[in-house]
Amino acid sequence: MEKILTPLISILLIVLSWLSLSSGSVDVNVLSGLWDWIQSADNKDALIVGEIRLPRTLLALVVGAAMGLSGAALQGLLRNPLVDPGLIGASQGAAVGASGVFYFNLFSGLGALATPLAGLAGAAITLFILMGLSGSMARPSIIIMAGLAISTLTSALLAIILNFAPNPYAMQELVFWLLGSVSNRGLDNLMVLIPAFIIGGGLIWGQRRLLMGLSLGEKVADSMGLNVVAGGRYIILGTAMLIGSAVAVAGNIGFVGLLVPHILRPLVNYRPDRLLLPSALGGAITVCAADILVRLLPPERELKLGVLTALVGAPFFIWLVWKERQRWV
Amino acid sequence: MGLMKIENLSVAGRLQDINLEIKQGEMLGLIGPNGAGKSTLLNAIAGLLNKSGTILLQDLNLEQYSAQQKARNIALQPQFVESAWALSVCDVVSMGRLPWGDSDQQIIHQAMQQAKVSDLANRHVDELSGGEKARVWLARVLANQADVLLVDEPVANLDIHYQRDVMQLLKDYAKSGHAVFIAIHDLSLAAKYCDRLCLLDQTRLIKTGRVEEVLTETIISNVFKVDAFVDLKSEPPVVLSK
Repeated sequence: MEKILTPLISILLIVLSWLSLSSGSVDVNVLSGLWDWIQSADNKDALIVGEIRLPRTLLALVVGAAMGLSGAALQGLLRNPLVDPGLIGASQGAAVGASGVFYFNLFSGLGALATPLAGLAGAAITLFILMGLSGSMARPSIIIMAGLAISTLTSALLAIILNFAPNPYAMQELVFWLLGSVSNRGLDNLMVLIPAFIIGGGLIWGQRRLLMGLSLGEKVADSMGLNVVAGGRYIILGTAMLIGSAVAVAGNIGFVGLLVPHILRPLVNYRPDRLLLPSALGGAITVCAADILVRLLPPERELKLGVLTALVGAPFFIWLVWKERQRWV
Repeated sequence: MGLMKIENLSVAGRLQDINLEIKQGEMLGLIGPNGAGKSTLLNAIAGLLNKSGTILLQDLNLEQYSAQQKARNIALQPQFVESAWALSVCDVVSMGRLPWGDSDQQIIHQAMQQAKVSDLANRHVDELSGGEKARVWLARVLANQADVLLVDEPVANLDIHYQRDVMQLLKDYAKSGHAVFIAIHDLSLAAKYCDRLCLLDQTRLIKTGRVEEVLTETIISNVFKVDAFVDLKSEPPVVLSK
């Protein structure tokens, strides 16, 4: 199973991407639309496929991959299958940063890039606080506690921002953005997302051996010549970049980072190092599929992507906790 | 021949001024009461703790080795190991090759054979019994093929059958041109399998020597605060509290 897993997910990914390009309220010819768009032709199909559905599909894929990959990395680092990337506070930090753009017009010179950049900055700040708090030893329990403290603080900051909203429209805009979506975003958002994804993903990818070594605990990993402290920081930094940029672009899309690695883990024989790539691909598929589903629901008021993933994810999470409990009873 | 030489090794508040030599081919036992500093000493040699003093490995200061070289030459089996994931036995043993950056199947299979876990290769570690797990953890360090193997209480929690297997396995590993430094509470087992013993008490090394020099009734009653019964001539040797 392990050998055919990645090819299998990749095929599924291509099929779903195609479906994502073809589904929507208007029927279009995807191939000719894409071709026309590349040729800069100015017709209906080219506009719909190239300007609306292509960015939407690519964003869903990259955001999903970022969440799946960071979930797998963080669960491996903290050796806990119930860890969600939101746990280190990066997503909430990104939300606070981006909401600053909505209210205080930060980075207004940057146009559409202002929100993602402010989100990335917010995630980076929370990350530095987390690293400062958890100290050089960076034990899993300390990271989780520090993450919880920071998440609580950022939630309070977010509440303050909502509380003092200058007008109801700004508030509505922020709330909708927080619910998570990949629609109505231009290709320029990918300019922020893709570099952050490559750097963050690269940082995590370089620590595959550490993730494997950590399976038997820090002492064993340390005695095998693996740099537990520095490597752990690279993983947290990579995760913050992935999650920060993903949340900054698409808002909160919860549970993907928790569930995707969890479902795929038995299929890679529980190896944390071999879980990374399938989780990234699996995350991309999940968010892309959820986004297609959102479009298939009645079109008058689109259900936000983050709401859908939470609706499906939360019961699964409850089941996970239940299963985990059975193991210890 | 001295494989490893430890000079004036101290760990703040936990170990004081340890001087020790580990010879090639020997199984050196580390004994002493709870809290004497046995695990601390093994961890300090493995480079997991801040320490002062010098450790020479094959006449070269350990500080001059890179982290990877150190890990290739010194392997540590901590007292408490648990796998966070339900990894397969084969994958756990192959982790012994992490310091080498390869997955040499021949060495991995040989280590599994030595530890008698070949028939468990495809099982998941969370399904194994305590005795099976202990042998799997050992197979992992054997696959590293380090010159010096540091093992912390490998037979605690094992029945007498597995105790014998594990001790014999370590003894054979030492005899094959390596060295094993083993922290152990069971003094009878230490007497039976170790070539020499060193006795730690209250963060200091108070005696190093042949088994009969260290395991005397006087020394044991002084250090462990019990009246001891020692018969090293019987087969197997017996060291018990009265």
